[in-house]
Amino acid sequence: MRDRLFEALKAQDVEYADIRVEDKTNTWVNYRGPDLDTIGSARTVGGIVRSLCKGGWGYATFNDLNDLPRRVQEACETARLVGRDKTYFASAEPVVDVIRAKLIKDFRQIPLAEKKARMEEYNRIILGHHKNIQTSTVRYADTFKTIWFANSEGTYIEEEKPDVNLMTAAVAREGDIVQTAFETGGSANDYQSVESFHEKARDAAQKAIELLAAPPVTGGKYTVITDPVLTGVFTHEAFGHLSESDFVYENPSMQEIMQLGKRFGVEGLNIIDDGSLPGGLGTHRYDYEGTPTRKNYLIQDGILVGRLHSRETAAKMVEPVTGNSRAVHYEHPPIVRMTNTYIDQGTVAFEDMLKDIDLGVYAIKAIGGQTAMEMFTFSAAYGYMIRNGQIAELVRDVVLTGNVFETLMNIDQIGNQVEWEPNGPGGCGKGGQHPLRVGLGGPHIRIQHCVIGGQQ
Amino acid sequence: MIVQQIIQKALQKAQAAQAVMLTQETSSVGFENDRLKSAESSQRTQIDVKVIVDGKVGVSSTTDPLDVDGVVNRALEAAEFGSPAHFDLPDAHSLEPVKIFDPALLPLEKPEMIRIGQQMMDMIKSYNPEILAGAEINKSVYKVEYANSKGANYAAEHTDFNVGAGGQLVRGTDILFASQGVGQKKRAVDTEEIAAQAIEYFRMAEKTVPVESGELPVVFTPSGLIALLLSLGLAIDGKNVYLGASPLRDKLNQQIASPSLTVVDNPFIEYGPRTSPFDNEGLPRKVTPLIEKGVLRNFIYDLDTAGRAGAKPTGHGSNRQLTNLVINPGETPYREMLGGIQNGLLVHEFLGLGQGNPINGEFSVNIFLGYKIENGQIMGRVKDVMLAGNAFDALKNITAVSKEREWISGPWSWIAGLMPYIQVDKLSVIAK
Repeated sequence: MRDRLFEALKAQDVEYADIRVEDKTNTWVNYRGPDLDTIGSARTVGGIVRSLCKGGWGYATFNDLNDLPRRVQEACETARLVGRDKTYFASAEPVVDVIRAKLIKDFRQIPLAEKKARMEEYNRIILGHHKNIQTSTVRYADTFKTIWFANSEGTYIEEEKPDVNLMTAAVAREGDIVQTAFETGGSANDYQSVESFHEKARDAAQKAIELLAAPPVTGGKYTVITDPVLTGVFTHEAFGHLSESDFVYENPSMQEIMQLGKRFGVEGLNIIDDGSLPGGLGTHRYDYEGTPTRKNYLIQDGILVGRLHSRETAAKMVEPVTGNSRAVHYEHPPIVRMTNTYIDQGTVAFEDMLKDIDLGVYAIKAIGGQTAMEMFTFSAAYGYMIRNGQIAELVRDVVLTGNVFETLMNIDQIGNQVEWEPNGPGGCGKGGQHPLRVGLGGPHIRIQHCVIGGQQ
Repeated sequence: MIVQQIIQKALQKAQAAQAVMLTQETSSVGFENDRLKSAESSQRTQIDVKVIVDGKVGVSSTTDPLDVDGVVNRALEAAEFGSPAHFDLPDAHSLEPVKIFDPALLPLEKPEMIRIGQQMMDMIKSYNPEILAGAEINKSVYKVEYANSKGANYAAEHTDFNVGAGGQLVRGTDILFASQGVGQKKRAVDTEEIAAQAIEYFRMAEKTVPVESGELPVVFTPSGLIALLLSLGLAIDGKNVYLGASPLRDKLNQQIASPSLTVVDNPFIEYGPRTSPFDNEGLPRKVTPLIEKGVLRNFIYDLDTAGRAGAKPTGHGSNRQLTNLVINPGETPYREMLGGIQNGLLVHEFLGLGQGNPINGEFSVNIFLGYKIENGQIMGRVKDVMLAGNAFDALKNITAVSKEREWISGPWSWIAGLMPYIQVDKLSVIAK
């Protein structure tokens, strides 16, 4: 492949070009209710050429790998049509690297029959848990992808990316009340991560049953503690996306809002994006432009100190590249994305966060989140009321909403232990690219004056 | 033909087989942050195979037309452990003639697409130079071929034309996004009207006005109706009905909405964004009434779910996707609808839709783009306001349906269709 890519790149006649080719095989087993819904596997081969001319990008995507030089020419012609200004593109040292997957238990060696039998066990656990379990979903997926990347500067990277993940969900019903609960799992390199999920499947079913009896939370302003997963979702969705420089680099008003050196939170608040973190869901040695990934502080001691870049946004803003140019698959060019984003650990034990809260909400996990710049809305999977410094009753329909800048300033305590969201079928969506694998994590955090939606 | 080769190969072991092949060429241009940013050519091939072996189903897919053996073998392997087939593949049918291919789109090349985009950008910039404008134009030509072992063998050539324009306006820490997009299968799309509509959403938002919490009448724009249609779509999905998860599961032929509401799924509209003659299970498309004068008429079934549920498949593909959703127009001119409101909201876009329990109808969303109506006038944009309620209750409490309708579509939207403005009597509005 290496020779083919460099041969094709000889057709490049503009300022820069690169090619990325992917070959992916994936397998899935899905149950919905008592029946097997679908089982199968697929193979996807495709690629994209990018070329750059006078600040304009030309792209050519394809499934047919037969005529790569023609795809390069096509992308260059298109770039010439678009380019009208000056090119901003950070310089880079060429890299040559081959990254092989290291699988602990290789899911490709497991027969489909065994995968099916295991998922059926989990499905039976959910359906048999309680008479009020209405239906179930069990979704297993594994993917083995090889990505080849070469550019006109001499960089060549070949990388294998495996992934195996699982979701078990339970739907419980009593009268008109329907409640859902789920658990996810998996890993980048080990089939064992989905082999002993019986307890988790039971947890999902049990939580759905408990939620049937839980009252909806009363809307209002509360002191809220978020669990590590919801902390991670909040950090990623509400703040992280504002750190992606493609929102900022051509937008003077956003630059003013996201000015480096500005205070965004309390002294102890540190927000980090780290694509080099070992074992993270968003970990790569290089991003999709061949830039090495690294640990990037976004907020340090409460002060905005950095943001995430592609080669283009870094050059435009005269800041260093960060290794955050990523693409979900070959049909898309890379754009600025997060990798593994988290609030770093603070000093407060969970029990100490609780003890002076008279009335508050402990919000756990997330079933959805959406943001539009400074506005955010997240649905926690469920929550508990906090009364007189103690965890009290389970509540449902916990929706957090607010302004990210106010909310960051309202974080007054940061827990002393970082945890990461387990693998699962989801991922981050941006610019039509979904689902991109990202790591979400953090400690428990305490937020004052947080608005919880719902009937008042 | 490759689809035929696949059937032949599969039938060496399978009792039944089908293959669907998509071949597509797309060109697009994109403007971002006031400038032409990128253009793209894309070539796509996708082959999906389904086989039935000893009564069990296996599926596979590939992007490689030379991978006939591989894709068939993977499907056969999956069938060994597959779910029991509750259906037979359909026989060959005659298909409705549909208008889905416009030769006028063939000569449309990137320079002309750039010109169209620039014109829309210029219109937005001349309304307000502070808006960071963007636009996207996308043209696609594709062919879908279907064949199965019962002798059904269809092909359809489509053209698609998608045009969108919009932008963002930042004032202090206040950020406003507004855009408009249209997708049709023909060249005759009024691109100036798209820019004009995007500008109108900015114009109405020039002022931000306060709103007090309470129960208020709410007008949904055609795009805003998604807040209600999301729940309806999930609840009429035959799989959710069969699994008992739909709150409408036992409401067929009962009044579930205001008599002013008639919703039809129509796959035959000339050059409609989701118009097509057959689905990916080889079933001919047909018109499916969903709600007639408030009465629920049909659920959406694929072949297998229909077989399990003892219902008839409706020709919406294996994933039961709606085609062109058409809501009948009402009696009330849109201006008159607004004119009758003393104190209410016009809502267009939301944040947080689909979180929680959408199939139950419950929603609690942030109004991302919405406007205050006072004494019949649009007063300005509302901010930090939540809208909460139940979609099924709201459908019962429709007080007016507009005469005017607009297409909502685009490759990015979950739903496509021809929709009026709909007024709902009193929803819970929570201001911060």
